[in-house]
Amino acid sequence: MASIAELMTHDHRSCDHDFARAETLANRKDWEAATLAFEAFANGLEAHFQAEEEDLFPRFEAVTGMTQGPTQVMRGEHVEMRASLMQLRAALANRDLDEFAGEAETLLIMMQQHNMKEENILYPMCDMRLGGERDALVNTLAIRLAPEHAA
Amino acid sequence: MSSANPGLAYEDTPPLSAPLRFFLTAPLFGLVAGLVLLFDGDLLASRWTPGALAVVHLFAAGFMLHVMLGALLQILPVVAGAAFPAPLRIAGVTHVLLGLGAAGLAFGLGSGTPSAIIAGAVLLAAGLGLFLAASLLGLARAAPAQGASRTPRDLRLALGALALTTVLGVVLAVALGRGLALPVALPTLVDLHAVWAWMGWGGLLLAATSWVVVPMFQITPAYPAGFTRFWAPATLVVLVSWSASLVADIGWLKLVLSALLLALASGFALQTIKLQRNSRRSTPDAPFRAFRLSMLALLGSLVALLVSLVSDAPQWPILAGVLVLHGTFAGAISAMLYKIVPFLTWLHLTQARIRAPNMKKLLPDAPVRKQLRLHAAALAALIVAVLLPVTTPLAGLLVAVEFGWLLANLLRAVRAWHQAANA
Repeated sequence: MASIAELMTHDHRSCDHDFARAETLANRKDWEAATLAFEAFANGLEAHFQAEEEDLFPRFEAVTGMTQGPTQVMRGEHVEMRASLMQLRAALANRDLDEFAGEAETLLIMMQQHNMKEENILYPMCDMRLGGERDALVNTLAIRLAPEHAA
Repeated sequence: MSSANPGLAYEDTPPLSAPLRFFLTAPLFGLVAGLVLLFDGDLLASRWTPGALAVVHLFAAGFMLHVMLGALLQILPVVAGAAFPAPLRIAGVTHVLLGLGAAGLAFGLGSGTPSAIIAGAVLLAAGLGLFLAASLLGLARAAPAQGASRTPRDLRLALGALALTTVLGVVLAVALGRGLALPVALPTLVDLHAVWAWMGWGGLLLAATSWVVVPMFQITPAYPAGFTRFWAPATLVVLVSWSASLVADIGWLKLVLSALLLALASGFALQTIKLQRNSRRSTPDAPFRAFRLSMLALLGSLVALLVSLVSDAPQWPILAGVLVLHGTFAGAISAMLYKIVPFLTWLHLTQARIRAPNMKKLLPDAPVRKQLRLHAAALAALIVAVLLPVTTPLAGLLVAVEFGWLLANLLRAVRAWHQAANA
């Protein structure tokens, strides 16, 4: 059975790969394919955010009593990344490569700083504190994540 | 809230001016190193010339150490959940001590002024000691939870090696400045100091950073888990054994362990190049290419060191030094600065609830690309200068312009930040 950290880290990397595909296609100015790839990326990312916000974070908050703690910070960063996705979507619609490339660079580094915090700090805390219910939660999360990301 | 929320909040990141002062001071040392090369044409004749010693310390204690401390202020909260106590005050005091220390040490070594060597070394050691104490305090208070990443552990190992390098450096300074009698020969102590700085501090730090930075920002496969588990501890064990063989002066053992160290370093470079070849990002940007060049320079330096084990010609250690300090470390660090500084300015605008321009508006690609090309040209000129000393001033000029330009590019991002903040 995978740990929460393993499952969610794997999904981060899958999202990264989706991101790279959209970026590659946009750089080639293959706008239609880039838009499709971008929407696949955005869907996968949104599924990841929702799995965290609706399943993982509430369980962590219930067990630790920390409702204003790390999960609150992560929710705030999700809001910022969703705003960045909107900018990218608009840049694609306008066929504006400069805007897309700059916004993509910004989202990438925002995403990776966020991932580092989750992978190094929050997920290991979840695995440690959610001991008994961990396996059931891993199953629930696995169902919610983008199916094409499954190992 | 910070105790319930170790390092995760943006609020826990230090004010921008804390790391920024280190990042903006660092290129000045590279600039001065270039000027020293420009005006001292005989500098590269041997690793023992006063000019060479000054330039090495301008690069290592000036450029590298400044960027490293600035980056640690920023990254320890993120990767290890360790928030510094009073980050702004720690940054302020260590920055001044470090700057004066590096400048004093380089001046003392270059001009042969014993009091400046000692004062510089002591100021440097004081700044580093304060910084290390504060970071240990932060690490001790950090959440004990550990992820699969080996980065937090290897950062600690690198800091340990830095502490040892510093102690050896202070002993050397006192030996040089006050004629302190040493239990080992002076060149042996210099080799210990240099190799602990290069492989212990620099090598472990570069590796610990790469474990995170390469897969995440270049979207490559992860380093193999077995590789990251063993690389840093193995390097440390070999370093300690090598040091013992050097002090005990056992010729064959020194040679075997030196070869092992070279093998470990080349393993890291080759592994990194292999991952980079599998990057999912289609168009490698200039910093990506600069990072790859830095790994190739690392391999080149290892070849030069290998030859220097069997050849007494003075240019091999110099060539290795050029390839390590300028090629590997200055290259990789410039590449990282170009990612870190625009992101930090963006982050601080976003934190202040100001709609931030995207990163490429804060720092456009074109000037970054041109400056990094100049970095490659300066490296080529330095290599030529090692073989053809008469060209040293040209290499110095290129290095000086390279670092002046780096500073100008970083200031551009800072100016864009000010404009956005005051718009």
